[in-house]
Amino acid sequence: MSLIERLTDEFARLPGIGRKTALRLTYHLLKVTSQEAHRLADAIVAASENVRPCETCGTFTEVSPCRICTNERRDRSIVCVVEEGPDVGAIEATGEYRGLYHVLGGRLSPLDGVGPAELNVNSLLDRVSGESPVREVVLATNPSVEGEATAMYLHRLLAPLGVRVTRIARGLPVGGDLEYADGVTIAEALQYRRDL
Amino acid sequence: MYLSSLRLTNFRNFADERLTIPREGVAIVGDNGQGKTNLLEAIYYLEIFRSFRGAPDDQLVRFGEDVCRVEGLVGGAGEARTIAAAYDRRARRKKVTVDGVEPDRIGDALGRVGVVMFSPADVALVSGSPAGRRRFLDIVLSLTERHYLEDLQRYRQILLQRNAVLRAGESTALVSAWNPGLVRAGSRVVAARLRWVRSRRDSFAARIREIANGSDAALEFDPSLPLDEEESGDDLDRVVATFESELARTADREQRRGATLVGPHRDDLRMRAASGGHGEWVDLRVYGSGGQQRTAAVALRMVEADTLRERLGSEPVILLDDVFAELDVGRSQRILRWVDREAPAQVIITAPKPADIELRGGALPVWSIRGGHVESL
Repeated sequence: MSLIERLTDEFARLPGIGRKTALRLTYHLLKVTSQEAHRLADAIVAASENVRPCETCGTFTEVSPCRICTNERRDRSIVCVVEEGPDVGAIEATGEYRGLYHVLGGRLSPLDGVGPAELNVNSLLDRVSGESPVREVVLATNPSVEGEATAMYLHRLLAPLGVRVTRIARGLPVGGDLEYADGVTIAEALQYRRDL
Repeated sequence: MYLSSLRLTNFRNFADERLTIPREGVAIVGDNGQGKTNLLEAIYYLEIFRSFRGAPDDQLVRFGEDVCRVEGLVGGAGEARTIAAAYDRRARRKKVTVDGVEPDRIGDALGRVGVVMFSPADVALVSGSPAGRRRFLDIVLSLTERHYLEDLQRYRQILLQRNAVLRAGESTALVSAWNPGLVRAGSRVVAARLRWVRSRRDSFAARIREIANGSDAALEFDPSLPLDEEESGDDLDRVVATFESELARTADREQRRGATLVGPHRDDLRMRAASGGHGEWVDLRVYGSGGQQRTAAVALRMVEADTLRERLGSEPVILLDDVFAELDVGRSQRILRWVDREAPAQVIITAPKPADIELRGGALPVWSIRGGHVESL
């Protein structure tokens, strides 16, 4: 296999990258200076070797526990449960949430062989039980079929621990168009309507 | 609605055919195997982007080619619209466009032509398995009820996941995590089916009386959940409550069987007919004669046409594929009278010989079809 093929194959393994894009990336890198190529390679190696899941919340971090878990100014009585690391970034970007996080590392999907054992469920239960300061768990898994089932399952496990379990609200997107929303979304938006 | 032109490229036995279709419709005659049904299949493909006979898309591509394409110009109450559908066998990709624009999801472009297809294979709607009748309901409701298809797809996805948990023999906690979603999506599907059957019962009975010269027949919903069809009140709330209690009731049994035992995936439609003079009613699937079953299948398609007409606000295109081959003369005549009465609906009808068709006083233009080529006579 030629070096060009080898590099293209590596790119093509990445999510969201097809054969053509992989080839384009390869030819782009062949044109850059060796210094630039090393910078990319070093960044990949450094990230791969130094970034680990936080021992407490599961977020990817260079220091464990992560900066969010060790931040004294954050509210330790509330934990927000998300599916994947990027979800933490999405919520952090709003600046609206001051509590802690817990990253499951996926969602229940029996068809893909993902059950509770494949997710960071036990570590969540450990964080919430015993002498824990946690008073509320916000379930922020995606509003997909699998995300909903994951939230239902976690609710069942968490409720007996005497903690308040909440689910992020669902409904119409801001700036959205009622006419184009799907039936279940509209039905739920009506069901969870609130007084003004 | 009507189809004013059609272009077929590498679709079944058509290499490249461009057809201008008369407003009133056309009668297509030709021997078996020349492409009559293929032509109707292509037209129906523009309605649901699948083969009406359930053929995989691969089989629609002409032998030795990679891409098949159907394009139709559709006129109706509003302005004309071009609908096109292509399938690439190698890339396994389907592309649908409406006026050149690809919709977000193919489901968004369903039912833009407005077509009802009558086929000899329809008899299986009455005599065949419940799956065929559910498919009938699903197509009619996907074409006419705004969010039906989304609800159905969501239901199927949850059902697959839930059955995978059950098959693996997991805990009740893991199984029941899927219940709220299953009930929410499934109840919407059941409620839509319930409403449809209730609203079409009388017209089904009327159609049967019309075709079969006064015989009585009934269309009934046979849901998996114990629902009383007559009971009024809010359907959805009632279905949700029943679905929840049935899941609780069957929980032990489904653990043993490793599958979800109640829900819309087990619904059925039942067609019954009055038998003899003793006021007895029999299930046409089991006890119906061949003629009764074919009559009921035709009536079901007529009721489908009624549903589409109400949704479209205009007549659907009527496709009749060699439907009179197995019906007696009396029934055939009465069906033709219905088609005549449906005017100004466009009607595209196929038959082996010209003499088989006496539609609209013989005023329908006649085309012949041979080896995938169409010529007007």
